[in-house]
Amino acid sequence: MKRKTISVLLCAAMIFGLAGCSTPSAPTKGNGNEKTSGAADGSATEGTESNLKMAWYAPAPHPYFEEVQKGVEQFKSEQNVDVIIQIGPDWTQASENEKVEALIAQGVNALSIYPCDASGANGLYQEISEKMGVDVINFGTDTAKPTTAAFAVATDVKQAAFDATEAVIKMMGEKGNILNVLEVLEDPNTALRKTGVEEAVAKYPDVKIIQEIAGIKTQEEAVNKIESALSANIGKIDGIVCTGFVTSVGMTQTLSDYYEKQGSDKHIFTVAIDTDPGVLKGIENGIVDATVAQNPVGHGYISCMLLKYLSEGYKVKEGEYFVNAGNTLVTKDNMDSYEKDLQAVTKDILDSLTTKYLTK
Amino acid sequence: MKAGNILRENNWKKIFGRGEVTVILAVLTLGIIFTIFSESFLTSYNMFNMGRTAAIYIFIAIGQALVVIVGGMNLSLGQIGGMTVVGAGYCMEILHMPPLAAVIAGLLVGVLAGLLNGFIITALKLNSFVVTLATSFIFTGLINGVSQGYPYNDIPEGFTFIGREGFLGIPFLLWLAAFALILLGYFFKYTVTGRRVLATGGNIEAAKMSGVNTNKMIILANIGSGVFAAMAGLLWISRTGSAQPSTGVDWMVISFAVAVIGGTVLKGGVFNPIGVFFAGFLIVMVKNGLVMLNANIYFEQAYLGLILLLAVSLDSIKNIINARKLKESLKRETIKQ
Repeated sequence: MKRKTISVLLCAAMIFGLAGCSTPSAPTKGNGNEKTSGAADGSATEGTESNLKMAWYAPAPHPYFEEVQKGVEQFKSEQNVDVIIQIGPDWTQASENEKVEALIAQGVNALSIYPCDASGANGLYQEISEKMGVDVINFGTDTAKPTTAAFAVATDVKQAAFDATEAVIKMMGEKGNILNVLEVLEDPNTALRKTGVEEAVAKYPDVKIIQEIAGIKTQEEAVNKIESALSANIGKIDGIVCTGFVTSVGMTQTLSDYYEKQGSDKHIFTVAIDTDPGVLKGIENGIVDATVAQNPVGHGYISCMLLKYLSEGYKVKEGEYFVNAGNTLVTKDNMDSYEKDLQAVTKDILDSLTTKYLTK
Repeated sequence: MKAGNILRENNWKKIFGRGEVTVILAVLTLGIIFTIFSESFLTSYNMFNMGRTAAIYIFIAIGQALVVIVGGMNLSLGQIGGMTVVGAGYCMEILHMPPLAAVIAGLLVGVLAGLLNGFIITALKLNSFVVTLATSFIFTGLINGVSQGYPYNDIPEGFTFIGREGFLGIPFLLWLAAFALILLGYFFKYTVTGRRVLATGGNIEAAKMSGVNTNKMIILANIGSGVFAAMAGLLWISRTGSAQPSTGVDWMVISFAVAVIGGTVLKGGVFNPIGVFFAGFLIVMVKNGLVMLNANIYFEQAYLGLILLLAVSLDSIKNIINARKLKESLKRETIKQ
């Protein structure tokens, strides 16, 4: 009896829960004149006046996506175009496929998306672009070639890794040993970053990579592996390059503890990536020397703008695919102004979209 | 003299017959190998760091072991840790609560999450696998919903004292882990409730017939699991000085690996505190040692798996040798007769 009562209560809770999660009215594919008043979990829509039905998809809540979303919101308000904003539950291609298929079922015909799996995402793209005529643009990272995505709006990861390494080498006085901290090995971008770091080091004969660590998915792993590498090379490391978000956060935490234990007589020059608040705090405190700021707001804005142009009849110019959204080195000196530099880069790219990347 | 020898031989047999001996041997063997091949392995800085990581692993493993003991499992262990981290971080950075209040709030999160798991498992007679799998999604949603993926970095400096300092060169975290294991060892060996928890996992029907309120024991084990997951989360904040919402993502594998290698039987009813202590070190040493030896980054996971496989095989090898010896001695006895 007790079990029955609990079961009934749980069922009731589920029904109420589902009712709370459901959309007030499901949008349908049509001429686009209808006003959409809601969307699936984590999404928001507004009215639209064209055939364009755009969606932006991020795999999971993450500070990087929060920044990209700002660009999408800015695009929405400045261009007066609806964008369904959806953030998925995890970084898996399976979840991404499910969520995107649901969006397409709602009539979405233009998609700005962060691909979870460089190869796996192509299967999804092929299906929705070839069968359903959906324009797809990658933001943040690229997919493997060939791909049916029209563009990839992202940071040139190899160049960013090269720039970061060169910055560390200059700080080191162009001599010494570097610890190269890579992130997830399954990500093809990691191989590009590795090459970027190695090419920069190869330019300077008195600099060598003393150790490489990789296979890091979580912040805990990052802390443990960086600590181990520091232990293995005490006094021998002159610089650290972190080319991933997780490793950058982990490095900042590890170094503050390292200096407490080992003393700060020998400074290890470090360059991180992205502008996590912890990393920026590390720059303020002098633990981290610089970080490579990507242009996430630009990733959001530019990708949506390209989709808008494609819906207006513009075609991709032959040979054009990758839009380098730029990056800048953030140090203690430009911490307050680097965002303006990135805004200027975004503006330049937006101005050149219809001439450099698209054609009528 | 002969009797003395036999006594000594029996003592050695007794010692080597204990479950935790193989894991201790594996730790010692690996320690010797890594010391020979890396001059940095035995440095105080490295030992201190390994001690801290092992301590966190031990807390995570206890969280899993407590439910495994009653014949269950907790797939939401990492998410409980994550919720605790987000809860404590939120209390300190957003609500500006003092660290002690944030710690209490964090522990409360663990208690409530464990209670929820235990209550659903016992009230609805559902398998712990299904229940904790479902709650892991709920907890992930709560972590993401509250934090939006952002970390909490405004952690008071004093909060990192336990995570970063030590006593007699041994990290406070490791002292805490050892204390927790001693306490649990005592609990399971000398208290009525502890014996009842073990009995529930050993044979639930027999325990019921003996008058043990098995549901109560399962709920208690789940609350304990939640509390230890919460403690691991809080200690992780203390170690890094930051509350990251991604904390706990990779705890599930660690929790099972350390608990099972440490001698916790998956069928339930057995807990080995000494084994868990050394198993925590075993996993940390393998990971640390591979970095020390500058192992190829692409094959690192394969090396990790191989070394762990070898380490856990020691127990089976020991059993096979013992069985052979027993067979031979029985043969000899039969021939004599």
